[in-house]
Amino acid sequence: MASNAEHRLRKRLLRIAHLTGLFLAMSLICLPGLWIVLNSFRPTVEIMAKPPVWIPNSLNLDHYRAMFGGVGEGGVPVLTYFRNSLIISVTSTLVALLVGMAGGYAFARYRFKGKAALFVGLMATRAVPGVALSLPLFIIMARAGIIDTHFGLILTYVALNVPFTVWLIDGFFRQVPRELAEAAEIDGCTRWQAFWKVEFPVARAGIASAGIFAFLTSWNEYALASQLTRSVNSKTMPVGLLDFTSQFTLNWGGMCALAVLMIIPALVLTFLVQKHLIAGLTFGGVKG
Amino acid sequence: MAQVQLQGIVKAYGALQVVHAIDLDIADGEFVVLVGPSGCGKSTTLRMIAGLEDISGGMLRIGDRVVNDLPPRDRNISMVFQNYALYPHMTVRENLGFSLKIAKRAEAEIAKAVTEAAEILSLTPLLERKPGQLSGGQRQRVAMGRAIVRHPDVFLFDEPLSNLDAKLRTQMRVEIKKLHQRLGTTIVYVTHDQVEAMTLADRIVIMRDGRIEQIGTPLEVFETPVNTFVATFIGSPPMNLLEGRITDGTVELADGTRLPIPPGHGAAEGRAVTFGVRADNIMPVGHALPPTAHMADVEMEVQLSEPLGTETLLFAMLAGTEVQAKMLNPRPVRLGERLRFQISLDKCHLFDAETGAALRV
Amino acid sequence: MSRLKLPPWLVLLLPAIIILMAVVLVPLVLSFYSSFTAYQLTRPDSLTKWIGTFNYRKAAGDANFWWAFGRTVLLLTIALNLEMLLGLGLAVMVSKVTTGQRLLRTAMMFPMMFSPVLVGFQFKFIFNDNVGLVNNALQSLGLTDVAIPWLVDGHLAMFSIIFAEIWTSTSVFAILILAGLYAIPQDPVEAAKVDGCTPWQSFRFVTLPFLMPFIYIAMAIRSLDVARAYDIVQIMTNGGPARRTELLWTLIGRTAYVDARMGYANAMGYIAILLSIFFTIYFFRKLTAARSELGMGV
Ligand SMILES: Nc1ncnc2c1ncn2[C@@H]1O[C@H](COP(=O)(O)OP(=O)(O)OP(=O)(O)O)[C@@H](O)[C@H]1O
Ligand SMILES: [Mg+2]
Repeated sequence: MASNAEHRLRKRLLRIAHLTGLFLAMSLICLPGLWIVLNSFRPTVEIMAKPPVWIPNSLNLDHYRAMFGGVGEGGVPVLTYFRNSLIISVTSTLVALLVGMAGGYAFARYRFKGKAALFVGLMATRAVPGVALSLPLFIIMARAGIIDTHFGLILTYVALNVPFTVWLIDGFFRQVPRELAEAAEIDGCTRWQAFWKVEFPVARAGIASAGIFAFLTSWNEYALASQLTRSVNSKTMPVGLLDFTSQFTLNWGGMCALAVLMIIPALVLTFLVQKHLIAGLTFGGVKG
Repeated sequence: MAQVQLQGIVKAYGALQVVHAIDLDIADGEFVVLVGPSGCGKSTTLRMIAGLEDISGGMLRIGDRVVNDLPPRDRNISMVFQNYALYPHMTVRENLGFSLKIAKRAEAEIAKAVTEAAEILSLTPLLERKPGQLSGGQRQRVAMGRAIVRHPDVFLFDEPLSNLDAKLRTQMRVEIKKLHQRLGTTIVYVTHDQVEAMTLADRIVIMRDGRIEQIGTPLEVFETPVNTFVATFIGSPPMNLLEGRITDGTVELADGTRLPIPPGHGAAEGRAVTFGVRADNIMPVGHALPPTAHMADVEMEVQLSEPLGTETLLFAMLAGTEVQAKMLNPRPVRLGERLRFQISLDKCHLFDAETGAALRV
Repeated sequence: MSRLKLPPWLVLLLPAIIILMAVVLVPLVLSFYSSFTAYQLTRPDSLTKWIGTFNYRKAAGDANFWWAFGRTVLLLTIALNLEMLLGLGLAVMVSKVTTGQRLLRTAMMFPMMFSPVLVGFQFKFIFNDNVGLVNNALQSLGLTDVAIPWLVDGHLAMFSIIFAEIWTSTSVFAILILAGLYAIPQDPVEAAKVDGCTPWQSFRFVTLPFLMPFIYIAMAIRSLDVARAYDIVQIMTNGGPARRTELLWTLIGRTAYVDARMGYANAMGYIAILLSIFFTIYFFRKLTAARSELGMGV
């Protein structure tokens, strides 16, 4: 009896420890972001107040108004940056998906010599640090005259995303039984039709999640964009964040507002794909 | 509808040859079953007929066309896969109509064909479901339905029943047989299961290691196996094989027991041979073994008995080999009891001990 | 049809190969070449000025470079290991929760959505000694009344950077390990329980070995992108104070774009690239090994 009670006590203590740990971890994860969101609604004086103001006295949309009006402190052309980011991310994602689909299909469906080496080779290109790559890329793009254009950045982001999309999509195609395509061929499809009518729709959800992953990478990329863009022609939002800084001051409130604008699409998309994203990575990786 | 003709068909993966020049003529409307142990090349052969594997050598005809290099869609065949390969993103109706849709048939025609196939296979109430919402047997029927809607020249089946439980398997076996009788289409059917092979086939093709061992009607391969491999592969329990030597015109076993040479067989004096007898043809004296022209008898010690209901299987030792025999009127048997057994010699076989080939004259 | 016919897999892989060649390989060849020259961004003709291995020898003798190199390896080692442990802990905690898991899972992935540059600013703000969240909180709680110079003191700055780095990347580990935890077959775990293992033992001897491939996947993914720490550091401290948080990447960026000495920067860049690729291949091999040990691979 005693030992039973003891066990019960231990169980309860463990449970309390578990919940406390979880609560602490989640707070650490969420608080910084929430603080940013909160500050985007607070007037600058309150953000800078000393001693700090913990309970906000007034929340307003001033920073957003200034941001979208393009007239706030510094007049950062946020809408243009948003548009640049959107064009570049969407286009590069679509292209990376097509290229990734072709490559992933090849890895999932064909056997050939040196497959493993080629795979790691492709992945290794992704490991090249952005800064190190930005130097020579800058030189070449300057020669080719595509610095500070959408095209230059799109091309770069496609290359950045292809290894991952290949990896993910390979994982998803592996889950689609080979026999499905064979059955389709017997039902009268060409290989091309069999792919688009059967294999593609079956792997669709996974491919979409690979796309969102690519989108997030492009959407958030900074190291390359900061060197390959120069002006409102092509500057993206992560680079635009720096417009809120000047030599000695930082417009925290304005920056927080832009940050929120950046996070919202990312948040929505990640929420949509979380399940598939994990499945793709683990299937591709574990069953490789 | 069409005949299928394989002439010296070879399949090699690089240097590894897995199908060795097989010849097979399948008549129009015939039901041919390929059987053989795992890895013997049944699926590979079937997939070459389907066009899913390249043919490394030889000639393949369907109807009167050579189809070696035609893609599957131009061969007018349909196939049922072991795991069914239903399109998971389509409803049963769409699955059934897919091939016709690809062939750009009129909506009305597709609808009619689908309704008809669904009717035949009692799938009508399931038409709007997705494959994920079906039971194993239902999926199997959809896979068959998908094969029949297009009225192909040839049906190919690759172990279509192996994922079903025993009861359902028997049921579906009957369905397939009926389907064949109704449609009269040529069928090539691969299976592991010799009961399926015996019950379904017009002719059975027994394969081993990428070669055809014997082709014949179920009765032929059962009654006149060309070698010990076929003899043990077809029939359950497998045929008993006893090693011996021809001495004085009889088969002398290791312990000196002598058995007469089965009628219709013959071998030179002194030759090492294998004597084959099925359990059905060796029974204890007085156990209703149907009398044949030639009989023989031996005494054996019973080791074990397995009552199966209508009959009892006896395991006995003869010349150091375990022999399975049958007993139709069950009676208690004591372990180690010595019994006299009768053998119907006319149903027995003699094989060469070395090559395993039947020694018929 | 006797045209030159490429095997289909090659045709399919060709677009990927071509793009990666154009955007990654060719520039790398160029940078490799320029690392043997005295190339300066402001004087294009210097690209042809061949100076052999001078840049490499210079880097080898440059104390700043070696400090940055050492610091980078240290940062990666500490960060990757802590991320792995914390991610494992987080994943186990989340997996044990019965209600609201979906929400927790999404919250767990929260940091993954943040652009690294945004993370940089966020923590620059949070660790700001004057108006930052951390100091405000410490002062309001009365734990201290001085402003702790989080980003101004060298050691504290390094700590702040590692904190930010771990904040962003732990979720990658957590989410993949969580996927692994879901995928564990229950039979062996239950067998272990019946065999008398304590919860810790069954975790150690059954669960953990099964999780290893997932951990290596996470490691491989992370090692592909270790350089995202560059963005964070660049924003938070830009290598300062007095180079106390200088990493290879910030050093390269400064040498190239501030000092405009491209050739030298490229030489250092090459060393950074080799470091990254080494990490990547190392973890891919580990992954393959772990996979075959569990008999999962094909
Ligand atoms: N891609 C391949 N490369 C090399 N060998 C292969 C390949 N595919 C099949 N084989 C070999 O070909 C032989 C025949 O395979 P097949 O699938 O036809 O056997 P099967 O008779 O259908 O067996 P089962 O009854 O187990 O389905 C096997 O030994 C197999 O190992
Ligand atoms: Mg097979």
